[in-house]
Amino acid sequence: MTTLLDVTSVTIDYINGDDVTHAVRDVSFSLEKGEFVGLVGESGSGKSTLGFAIAGLSKPPAHVTGGQVLLDGVDIASLSPEQLREQRHGGVAMVLQSGMNALNPVRTIRNHFRDIFEAHGHIEKDRWDARAAELVQKVKLPATVLDRYPGELSGGMRQRISIALALSLEPKLMVFDEPTTALDVLVQHAVMDTIIELQQSEGFTALLISHDLGVVLESAQRVLVMHDGEIVEDAPAQSILNSPQDDYTRMLLSHYADPRADVVELPGFEDRGKRAGKPRAEGAVHPPSVHGRERRSDQKPIVVENLTKVYPPPRRGEAEVVAVDHVSFTLDPGESLALVGASGSGKSTIAKLITAVEKPTSGSIRFGDLDVGSLRRGQFRRLHSEVQMVFQDPYAALNPLHTVEYTLTRPVVNFTKLRGRDARRRVLELLETVGLTPVEEFAAKLPHQLSGGQRQRVVIARALASDPQVIIADEPVSMLDVSLRAGVLALLEDLREQWGVSMLYITHDLLSARIVTDNIMVLNQGRVVERGDTADVLRNPQDDYTVQLLDSVPNPRRSRVA
Amino acid sequence: MTTTRQPMRDATQDIRTVQPTGAPPNPWQVFARTAGTIWSNGKARLGLIILAFFVLLAIFAPLIAPYGATENGFDRSADASPEHWLGTTAAGEDVLSQLIWGAQISIFVGLVAGALSTLVAVLVGLSWGYTRGFIADVINFIVNLFLVIPGLPLMIVIAAYLSGGGIGMIIVVVVITGWAWGARVLRSQTQSLRSRDFVTAAVFSGERPFRIVFREILPNMTSLIVGSFFGAATAAILAEAGLEFLGLGDSSIVSWGTMLFWAQNSNALLTGQWALLFAPGLCIALLATSLTLINFGVDGISNPRLREGKQR
Repeated sequence: MTTLLDVTSVTIDYINGDDVTHAVRDVSFSLEKGEFVGLVGESGSGKSTLGFAIAGLSKPPAHVTGGQVLLDGVDIASLSPEQLREQRHGGVAMVLQSGMNALNPVRTIRNHFRDIFEAHGHIEKDRWDARAAELVQKVKLPATVLDRYPGELSGGMRQRISIALALSLEPKLMVFDEPTTALDVLVQHAVMDTIIELQQSEGFTALLISHDLGVVLESAQRVLVMHDGEIVEDAPAQSILNSPQDDYTRMLLSHYADPRADVVELPGFEDRGKRAGKPRAEGAVHPPSVHGRERRSDQKPIVVENLTKVYPPPRRGEAEVVAVDHVSFTLDPGESLALVGASGSGKSTIAKLITAVEKPTSGSIRFGDLDVGSLRRGQFRRLHSEVQMVFQDPYAALNPLHTVEYTLTRPVVNFTKLRGRDARRRVLELLETVGLTPVEEFAAKLPHQLSGGQRQRVVIARALASDPQVIIADEPVSMLDVSLRAGVLALLEDLREQWGVSMLYITHDLLSARIVTDNIMVLNQGRVVERGDTADVLRNPQDDYTVQLLDSVPNPRRSRVA
Repeated sequence: MTTTRQPMRDATQDIRTVQPTGAPPNPWQVFARTAGTIWSNGKARLGLIILAFFVLLAIFAPLIAPYGATENGFDRSADASPEHWLGTTAAGEDVLSQLIWGAQISIFVGLVAGALSTLVAVLVGLSWGYTRGFIADVINFIVNLFLVIPGLPLMIVIAAYLSGGGIGMIIVVVVITGWAWGARVLRSQTQSLRSRDFVTAAVFSGERPFRIVFREILPNMTSLIVGSFFGAATAAILAEAGLEFLGLGDSSIVSWGTMLFWAQNSNALLTGQWALLFAPGLCIALLATSLTLINFGVDGISNPRLREGKQR
């Protein structure tokens, strides 16, 4: 085997005026021809920065301040922009996370291929169409997509097109930067399969950058683990799995488990089975504050009956969209219920209906004597003082211009009689509850000064401010790094057990559902296909759809590479 | 307890209120940072310099202007001379002095009318963007009405009705005809912001619609509002000059518009006194250009997320 890419002590700094951040520190590694290597790290580890540098795409404020990247013995830094452009043919190609959004919406797919052929002239003009058809077939799409516009294709199809476009230059090295992260779980799985097959049939060298160790271990032969700008481990996939050397790798690995297993444990979580027999209602031990839990005894269930939501057709002439189709369930006080399904299964719509953000087409939602479906705007406070929501994206759920204190003070003032100093004390208590200490310091921060996990804690604290009976958590950890997920899940679990809050946990991630919920409902295209005890359902799934979802959970112990 | 964390500690009940360690961002710091962002843009810097020049000219007119604005004891229609750099008008007034005094009116009308029409645009645009259903349709109809009627004829009609009101009348006319475009721009941005999670979250926090619109949404579109203010001020300056040039304002006051009006009336171009038309015209153009240039810099102001994007 010969070395294709040689990276020697590369350092990359982000230079912003006098402010210098070392994103990549003194990193060295090499790729052999035909290898499939994974590069794993959490957000901020410098993995994408490194990927861009390898493709010669570093742009300010990122500056390569040391070391060199040799591709086939040629230093990438020494190439002029024009040489770099020519080198794209038969050199390095990159597939981005948002690659599916990189297609020009007013041009057909065929035109995208033509642009590339024209720019590089490596294919004779009369073979352009044939070559384009050949390329889309390689990514498992019919040749008819060539005449479609990007808007007519699904996210997965567009990502496949962007892979085909990258392939069209017959690259020696393909850098995949989170190629499946923005896709739906089921589609992710299929696109990864295609990438793995392509790598084997085309024989290019692949560097797969991902935050998900599970995905990488499933596909790559060798894995580089990156942490704080340094490569902390470089080993074959098997030995990473069986005998990880670095603490960080071990920590990452500890957050993976098979939701189908008899006993599922994650750091900080025992298996739910071991806790069986302990009535949930007894969980509310420590009253969180003076305004009490007295009314906990007369807590009310949420009763959903024959809930249906139909949206008008997206385009004229198309059928209307049935997002939720006759769904009925009851969320009892103190219960935790998982609502799982792929995107488009209607799970988030149910959350919107329960919280009165949308109105149901038919069916009823009752919370105590409150008929949620017919609630008018002015009555929202009555519902929201008892039913609160934790949002998926902590980066979007906080107003970037308000301090944490302001964000938390508002619900306290709106839902309780506390004012002034008392309200402030309550805000600090909330911060303490969600583990953001020192509280005074966090209260004064703006959202952009917080990490993703800290932001999600603020979002949870805000949901708790009204002292609600029900929390609806819509994918609360899907935007967070693996190592932060456990902490947020543990917090939700604690709150539920100690405050007696019931929780509707909406997710596509069956592992986290297994960890924090008692009961589960599997949704497919708005219908409930399976329901029951979480552990039972996941151990013995009855419906094909549930099995598909289970198969799409990345599992380091199941390698897909033969 | 089943998990390792113990989130509620005994100390929770006893937390005493102390002064916050880091003060929330001081409005002046925010202002300084915003000004810095605008200043760092080359075009905007040029615009600011021109604007500052005219503002200083207006403020210190009594000190700078060699003569009074309506002092008319000089030779009539004189050419440029050391005493009268730009000559005199047909009524025997010093052109340079009139130009300097006239800056006061143009800048005053520009800022006041710009601010008022932006205020109307913000009030209408934001509530329009946030409401749905019948009321939104009604507002939509009214705004479209104002947009579809050609601006200058409407202005002339209104000005003719309110004739003799002087500067106040001109400001009213400019505001009535100038708010609709800004309202539409702000409405579309409001609609895009209202679907953000943090707005939904504010509903969950029990916030009333008024507060959501003006405390959650409004601060996130500051740059757009500032931009629309400069746009409205530019339009106001041009409209003021246009109306006065047509003789619809109070022609006894001295402004760049009335200077053009009188210059036209006295056939200044035929008598070779091009400076009479050229000087106020150039000033109007320069002032309008300066505001447009500043708007290039305003585009650079954005929310902290974008600003932080540079560091990551």
